Amino acid sequence: MSLPELTEAPPRPRPDSASTRTVQAPTLHTTPGSFIDPQALMAIKNLELRAKVVVEGFWNGLHRSPFHGFSVEFTEYRQYSPGDDPRYLDWKLYARTDRYYIKKFEDETNLRCHLLVDNSKSMGYGSGSYTKAQYANTLAATVAYFLYLQGDAVGLLTFDEQIREYLPARNRTGHLRHLMLALDKPAAGTATDLSAPLKRIAEIVTKRGLMVLITDLLAPIGTLEKHLIALTACRHEVTVFHVLDPVELSFNFEKALMFHDLESGRDLFINPADIRKEYLRKLTAHNAAAQAICLKLGIGYQRFGIDRPLELALFDFLRERMQRGKKIKRTGSIRTKA
Amino acid sequence: MSFLAPLFLLGTLAVALPILFHLIRRTSRERMPFSSLMFLSPTPPRVTRHSRLENILLLLLRCLVLLLLALGFARPFLQKPRAADPSSDTGKRIVLLLDTSASMRRDNLWALAQAKADEVLRTAKLADQVAVFTFDRQARPLVTFEQWSSMDAGQRAGLTMQQVRSVTPGWFSTRLCDAILTAAESFDEKLPEQQTFGLREIVLISDLQEGSHLDGLQGYEWPRDIQVIIEPIRARRTTNSGVQLVTEHDETAAPSSDSGPRIRVLNANDSKREQFQIRWEGVPEAEPLDVYVPPGQNRIFAAPKLAPGIKGERLVLNGDDEEFDNKAFFVQPKADTVSVLYLGNETETDSAQPLYYLKRAFQQTRNQIVQIIARRVDTPLAAAEVQNAHLMIVTESLPEEQVKTAEQFLNAGKTVLFAMKAPAAASTIARLTASPGFNAEEASMPRYAMLAEINFEHPLFLPFADPRFSDFTKIHFWKYRRIEIDKLPRARVLARFDQKANPALVEVPVGKGHLLLLGSGWHPTDSQLALSSKFVPLLYSILEQSGGLKAQRLQYVVGDPVSLVITNGAATLNVTKPDGSTVALPKGDNFTQSDQPGIFTIDAQPPVRFAVNLDPAETKTAPLPVEELERFGVPLKKDRTVETAQREEKKRYLLAAEQEKQQKLWRWMIVAALIMLIAETWLAGRLVHRGPASAEAV
Repeated sequence: MSLPELTEAPPRPRPDSASTRTVQAPTLHTTPGSFIDPQALMAIKNLELRAKVVVEGFWNGLHRSPFHGFSVEFTEYRQYSPGDDPRYLDWKLYARTDRYYIKKFEDETNLRCHLLVDNSKSMGYGSGSYTKAQYANTLAATVAYFLYLQGDAVGLLTFDEQIREYLPARNRTGHLRHLMLALDKPAAGTATDLSAPLKRIAEIVTKRGLMVLITDLLAPIGTLEKHLIALTACRHEVTVFHVLDPVELSFNFEKALMFHDLESGRDLFINPADIRKEYLRKLTAHNAAAQAICLKLGIGYQRFGIDRPLELALFDFLRERMQRGKKIKRTGSIRTKA
Repeated sequence: MSFLAPLFLLGTLAVALPILFHLIRRTSRERMPFSSLMFLSPTPPRVTRHSRLENILLLLLRCLVLLLLALGFARPFLQKPRAADPSSDTGKRIVLLLDTSASMRRDNLWALAQAKADEVLRTAKLADQVAVFTFDRQARPLVTFEQWSSMDAGQRAGLTMQQVRSVTPGWFSTRLCDAILTAAESFDEKLPEQQTFGLREIVLISDLQEGSHLDGLQGYEWPRDIQVIIEPIRARRTTNSGVQLVTEHDETAAPSSDSGPRIRVLNANDSKREQFQIRWEGVPEAEPLDVYVPPGQNRIFAAPKLAPGIKGERLVLNGDDEEFDNKAFFVQPKADTVSVLYLGNETETDSAQPLYYLKRAFQQTRNQIVQIIARRVDTPLAAAEVQNAHLMIVTESLPEEQVKTAEQFLNAGKTVLFAMKAPAAASTIARLTASPGFNAEEASMPRYAMLAEINFEHPLFLPFADPRFSDFTKIHFWKYRRIEIDKLPRARVLARFDQKANPALVEVPVGKGHLLLLGSGWHPTDSQLALSSKFVPLLYSILEQSGGLKAQRLQYVVGDPVSLVITNGAATLNVTKPDGSTVALPKGDNFTQSDQPGIFTIDAQPPVRFAVNLDPAETKTAPLPVEELERFGVPLKKDRTVETAQREEKKRYLLAAEQEKQQKLWRWMIVAALIMLIAETWLAGRLVHRGPASAEAV
């Protein structure tokens, strides 16, 4: 994991460049209307293309920021000091700048990010033209693409009540494509069970890295804390994207209807007017509980409706990471090496 | 519009169902998928408010379909006026039997009976002929067929009812059998010309109490076309018990004995109570008697004790619902003094002489005090003594003066018993019987003689006629006088001695009276007669024969003829009834107007009183099972009104069925229902297609 660190030397890469390693802290000076409408975005069939559109739009919206040091980039240059291994001297840089810099191995410094995407049936719900699963997949693809552009290794784990797909974090050519294909697979599972995938990922991924959990968290929250603890104990950095449909958040049905549970297949006759209050109370409590767990464990927690533009989601992701970096910097725990 | 099967109209209630279904917000058939129901709880289906009744037209169509179906199944038809029934032309002959026995005095039975009678009379058709009989111990015509026919057709029922209202129940017992038979026979009256009657009916309006006598119905050959219709009348309160006298005093009891009368308390079968109280009416100081008699049983008790010297005449029972049989009347018997004149020169204390035994033969009882007046033959007799005496007993030959007295005595229709102690008395007998040649002599015999050839048919020996008492062989006669029977005109031998068949007891009619001639004496020197068990009964028999012992009957049942012959020596006798009215009775007649319970008084010297009580059978007021009548072969018809109604109902139904069959309105109903159904289907389909919102209610 790379931690934000102010370096003088590294050249500022162009934002649109694929080889950019460092990104300034993003500040979005745009009105929400200037983002790509998720509905329009979802009309694009190809997931990769969707991701590209978002990321490029995101770059376009970024402005330079006086903040330095936030980066998900891991390749580092350090001024040579006697005793360093001369093998790691960057000769090209020396040729350009006439100074010795030690270049670190990319392998060591690159971010290992695992995207944990919930693929249960409940994610198949969407009040609009697209579902939560589509949104989550697009979000995952966007993050993956973004990180890929930065050269970070991205892995994927899709799950429902058990693990469906697992791609280890890599940064190879073609890996992104595999990742996109895996994300494109239709959801097969039924229930959401967070504990099994979290437990499994804690077992599989031994090297510490970033874990991005994209889920609707529509599952009993009891064991969630235990497994999140396991993850943080492995010194993974965890971020939770809690995605919900706007209708789930507001429950603004009008007529009494027979509600069909996508996961269990249970039918229930419900008059929304009667139980809206009750529903919202329970949902708020559930969300608050999840948020409280995350806060307690130092886990980033973002909750948003799926009508939120993906750029904002990505921005939230980055800002959250930046703030985390600042926090760590303030505490002075500077770690240079994974 | 009428309906053949109106029960199907209940099906119209099914209209409520579509209305209810329209009111219920039905669960949508369309399902709304949702991510998770973990935060949701079910809501029960609700009935929408009345104002939210949706799809009124559809609802109306559905209701109409159900209504039409129900109407169709009820098979409606339009009623047409009925033609008159031709079969009701021939009339019936009806005998109305009205029970007026004492048990009909209960509660409001008589009013009910009148109402029933009124109903029967009013429902009688113009062509019917009605006769009305009232009955208790006998049936009496109130209105005959002839009277009915002679009445104006419109007023028959009213006039007859007037007659019925003039009657009230009496106090007599119920002889139902006689009444029914009288009614059955009354049909044999001649019919008016050119008139035929189909049915013959006896309508019996009665409380049908168990005490009604039915025995007369046994073996009666019922004519074919008679039917008996029973209109039973039931009392509201059924507890009834009655009190009756069982027997009079023990006849042999001494006059001083204080044993009261014995009473029977009878409780009706359907009584609800068992505890009653009996007391003497008019004797407040007498203790009442509590009695316990279970329903359907009778018990015998001694009447409540009375203090000496106090006489009670009315026993009253308390504790039941009905009053009519709660009184028993009782007349204390008075001892009669019977004088027996004895002529003989003997002393009472001489046990070798007949008088000694005679004196001891007659015991004083409560009913009779027999007085023996013994006179010497040479003592002149007082005229009153002779007149009051009922029997004269002579044992010796009489002087001239006494013979005359005896002749007078005989001519007055009294009896003289002549016991010949010696053959010398033959002269007196010859005088008395006016047969100068009569003689008697001492009979000779080896040891003793016995009585034989006894005429048990003669009233004198009638009490001994039973083989148990007819053994006279234990009476030995040591001596007797041979009577020359052929010398006595019209003499009748009642018993003979076994030796040579000499007459022992001879009856000779003299004047109006009888002379009984005994060939021996009863004293021990002559015979063992006085010591035998036959002696006292024989003497009483003679006394009775002589008219000295009157059968003193003082208790009668209502309706019994009361024999007053003996008392009725005067030209007319006045009998005062308990209600105060007086009946004059011609000489020699029996009193037959004992038509009410109570104490009757005969104006004689001294006044004679007798009690008339209700027939105990009237107390058995529990209803008689109708099967009992069937058992006697009475051709019963089921309840008149019910059967008529059933027949009418059946006829009406058949007529209605026929009309319905002709009209067949139900087909149109079903067709209309089908059209409605099609319209409903079309409308529902349209509503479904128009939008899911409106389809929800469908």
